[in-house]
Amino acid sequence: MGLRTMLGAVAALGVLAGMAAAQDADRVAVITPYLAQPGTQFYLDGFEAEAEARGWDVNVVDTAGDIAAVISRIEDAVTQQVDAIVINVDPAQVEAGLVQAQAAGIPVIGMDAGSHELLATNVTSNGYAMAAETAAYVANRIGGKGRVVLFTFDPFPPVQVRGVIADAVFGNYPDIEIIDRITPDVQDGGIADSRAKMEAILAANPDPGSIAAVWAAWDQPALGALQAIEAAGRGDEGIVITGIDANPQAREAIAQGGSFEASVAQDFVGIGKATAEAVARVIAGEEIREPVTYVPTRLITASNVNE
Amino acid sequence: MLLSIRGLDKSFGGTPALSDVALDLRAGEVHALMGENGAGKSTLIRVLAGVSPADRMDARLDGAPLVLGSPADAARAGFRFVHQELNIVPTLSVAENIFLGRSLPRRLGAAVDWRRLNRMAGDALGRFGLSHIDPRQKAGRLGTGDRMLMRLASMLVSGDTEPRLFVMDEPTAALTHAESERLFAVIRDLRARGAAILYVSHRLDEVMALADRVTVLRDGRRVLTAAMAETGRAGIIRAMTGRDVTEAHPRRAAPARAGTVCRLEDVSAGRLSGLSFELGTGEILGVAGLENAGQSDLLHLLLGDGGRISGRAEVADAALPRSPSQAWGRGVAFVPRERRREGLMLGRSIVANTVLPHLGRLSVLGLARKRLETDESRRLAQALRLRHRTLAQPVRELSGGNQQKVVLARATLDAPKLLLLDEPTRGVDVGAREDIYATIRSLAAQGTGILLASTDLPELIGLSDRILILRDGRQVGLVATQGLDPEGLLSLIYGEARGAHE
Amino acid sequence: MIHLRRYATLVGFGLILLAFALALPDTFLTAQNLINISQQVSMLAVVAFAMTVVMAMGDFDLSVGAMASLAGVVAASLFAAGFSLPAGLLAGLGTGLLGGLFNGLLVARLGILPFVATLGTLTMFSGAAFMVSDGRTIFGDDIPEAFGAFARGGLPVGGLVLPSLSLLALAALLIVWVLLEHTSYGRRLYAIGGNMEAARLAGVPVRRLRASAFAVTGLGAAVAGLMYASRVASANPTQGDGLMLNAIAAVFLGMTMSEESEPRALATLAGVLMLAVLDNGLTQLAVDSYLRQFLVGAIILAAVASSRIGLSKG
Repeated sequence: MGLRTMLGAVAALGVLAGMAAAQDADRVAVITPYLAQPGTQFYLDGFEAEAEARGWDVNVVDTAGDIAAVISRIEDAVTQQVDAIVINVDPAQVEAGLVQAQAAGIPVIGMDAGSHELLATNVTSNGYAMAAETAAYVANRIGGKGRVVLFTFDPFPPVQVRGVIADAVFGNYPDIEIIDRITPDVQDGGIADSRAKMEAILAANPDPGSIAAVWAAWDQPALGALQAIEAAGRGDEGIVITGIDANPQAREAIAQGGSFEASVAQDFVGIGKATAEAVARVIAGEEIREPVTYVPTRLITASNVNE
Repeated sequence: MLLSIRGLDKSFGGTPALSDVALDLRAGEVHALMGENGAGKSTLIRVLAGVSPADRMDARLDGAPLVLGSPADAARAGFRFVHQELNIVPTLSVAENIFLGRSLPRRLGAAVDWRRLNRMAGDALGRFGLSHIDPRQKAGRLGTGDRMLMRLASMLVSGDTEPRLFVMDEPTAALTHAESERLFAVIRDLRARGAAILYVSHRLDEVMALADRVTVLRDGRRVLTAAMAETGRAGIIRAMTGRDVTEAHPRRAAPARAGTVCRLEDVSAGRLSGLSFELGTGEILGVAGLENAGQSDLLHLLLGDGGRISGRAEVADAALPRSPSQAWGRGVAFVPRERRREGLMLGRSIVANTVLPHLGRLSVLGLARKRLETDESRRLAQALRLRHRTLAQPVRELSGGNQQKVVLARATLDAPKLLLLDEPTRGVDVGAREDIYATIRSLAAQGTGILLASTDLPELIGLSDRILILRDGRQVGLVATQGLDPEGLLSLIYGEARGAHE
Repeated sequence: MIHLRRYATLVGFGLILLAFALALPDTFLTAQNLINISQQVSMLAVVAFAMTVVMAMGDFDLSVGAMASLAGVVAASLFAAGFSLPAGLLAGLGTGLLGGLFNGLLVARLGILPFVATLGTLTMFSGAAFMVSDGRTIFGDDIPEAFGAFARGGLPVGGLVLPSLSLLALAALLIVWVLLEHTSYGRRLYAIGGNMEAARLAGVPVRRLRASAFAVTGLGAAVAGLMYASRVASANPTQGDGLMLNAIAAVFLGMTMSEESEPRALATLAGVLMLAVLDNGLTQLAVDSYLRQFLVGAIILAAVASSRIGLSKG
């Protein structure tokens, strides 16, 4: 009886084995610990559409948050001699797997994974460009002059580069004065502490027009600043607020037509598609010269927020 | 003839447990089923219960062919079973337990009609003259005897068919004298109503007084079926053992008191009080009393398992041990009252069970020496005449008497200074009893001081040099056994006696 | 019949190996792949061996996964604060020992059911891991190069490299096997598992042994947590959490193969390997992750159902 149950289970395995009989198509393993997160799903949609058009045999592996399992699955893919591996996890954490892939000559492509010398390339949004979009928007809206508050977060590299660009853009306008450069406490996502910091700044600058704009390196501080400004009854002063990422809460605020005027949306589907294109180039034998492949982003304002 | 069985064969894994057994049960008789442990009694009961169907059997109920393939078949035939271990739900009331598994009387189709349920339960109990049990109280509060009687009452009202046959397996093993008497009255009442009772017990006196006929099994075969009046005690024992066993306890020479292994002066602890005695090397001190008069508490106290005490106590040339582990370390050994619950790891091997307290001594630098463990176990198994297949087999597979021998082997492996025995022969057959008695005597002869708690009075008198009497946890007497008979001891226990106190 | 049941899992394991070997003729039964499997499973193996120690007493430790996370985070935080490699490692191991001892005292001293006690400490350890790390992943320059290099390194034998993590797991197996099978300590643990009250009355110091066994398990969990952190060269407060259920599953699978359904070190090894082989083989066959997870669960159930423990001990 017991034996029969086991035999049944093993027979099921056998069927699966048959299904996976050798094919000629290029085989690509996509290994992620974060499949359950909504962003990851968009990457995959873009990637899989492109992969299907190219006739690849794609195997998506989700390790449900387990980083060590990502290494294990990379090793398995190497053993299996796939044509390429795509990861979207910090490459430094799975270096053990990357080393094996390199030794076996199998290219690994990062899909918004972070830069690493062992990746053929990492496909991601251009953080510099995103910051430049909103900083230029702010400078544009306030006519190149006025007092501006920055919210930045230098400990986290992808966000730190955004601050650098904002500094550069505003520094180029002699009449724009940065009155404060704030690093909010991000324990709870950043909204609450940003609001508290902004309230203090508003109190220190009570005159209408004394603050022209708030530039935030991501959406949460922008939302916190918006709450502080509206709570202080200064929502009609024309203070311009911008964020980056265009998360749903930010989009909602932008759609309402208040002080929160702009943010930047990453093209997740486009990153997935560009990743597939990078994979195709690598499989074709091309060596991609740029360690990072940038995918264009899009400025979101009230005019296009509902598209 | 109510039930007639012929040619019953049953084997387990190729080993025959019953061969060509025949059994006839008449309506309105108490039929004793006897045999040593492992003779096949339990197997026969399991066949009757439909729990483990026979390989081959011709069974007839009222002359019509009867199939016993499942417990449902047995229930339909009107068979009811009372086991040593009772299935009761302690958190439910007596009434609920009596009607357990059946739909309870209801009011308005939904709510349980408690009043009617309690009255029905009261009626069921009343039929046995058990009006002292309140149907509303929690079953867990009943004593062992009342639980058994409650189960019997439950059987009378349970099932779709009228009960025809009651099978009772060692029903009095855990009962007091008075409870046993009440049970016997119920059994006689059932017999008068025309039911058959198949009665399994090791207590010869009980069986002789109660049963009309007896069937004896030995090594899976029927060796005797006869009217009780035509068979004597000796005849039954001979049939069971295949040899002549002298039941009498040979008088031992009074021990040479070389030293003291245990001394208590006016000790109280928990429900125990007024304990003052001295146990010498090589002495066997009996502990007597009614059921649960504190015998087990006393033994647990000396094992370091009794909590704080007042008074002075000295065990094995040191203070009272603080834990069982310290006690064993000082040469105190213990045979608990309930071997399955307190004594054995049923799934573990004979060796593992035997050497457990002695692992420290049998190992080197914490590493176990399996060869030595097996050798020691084999030595004791031979000395105690343990019936087993291999020393590696789990003790679950052994019969009750042989399981008890394993517990005793554990206690005697290291020639203890003080041996605490709590009902060492409960549920053990005559042959195994003799082996256990021999071991106890030989240990005493080697200088072990022994404390023997038992409710088997002839055993107590036969083995002990002196007897300590407890009543409700209080020491009420300490008497020499010289010239004492069971009746005399019983009256001391009940406290009706004259000049019992020392 | 009983024997057939006992070997059902092993036979099933053999058939699974055979199925993979046939379906993946070039890549499955290669030395490199087997070495990969041994490394992939090393952390789970250490947790499972540690779990076997408490399960020998019939107890459970649900907190091992959280402890693995905590130990990794403690060590990494000390690295980040500039402490040396040995200091971080010792702190991680010490955390495991103390946390395990705490479990043991809850169970043995206060008499809290292991399931409840370790469910509580699971949450506590997990909270502590978040507190220590501020909820962040500690990685990059904060982690000493040598720490990450350990997991990537190994012992060269012939043309192959035996990974350090596999060797560490092998050492853990050896220790637990000797402890459980060949010491008085282990025999007493099994006695407690067989019948705690009887063991106590037979002179086994039940409290002390239970407390110490939980400490051993906590230490094992910490070792696994440090191995994990070394393998990913980083630590975050949840990375070891998944180890707990898999470890219990592995011990159960092992129990289906052992006599009297007791947890044994070598049987646990078989259970661990079975899980690892399924993961490795099914990934190679490009079976969908979710289907793979479903299948692994189904096979565990099939094994347990086909043995006796599902019937008699629940």
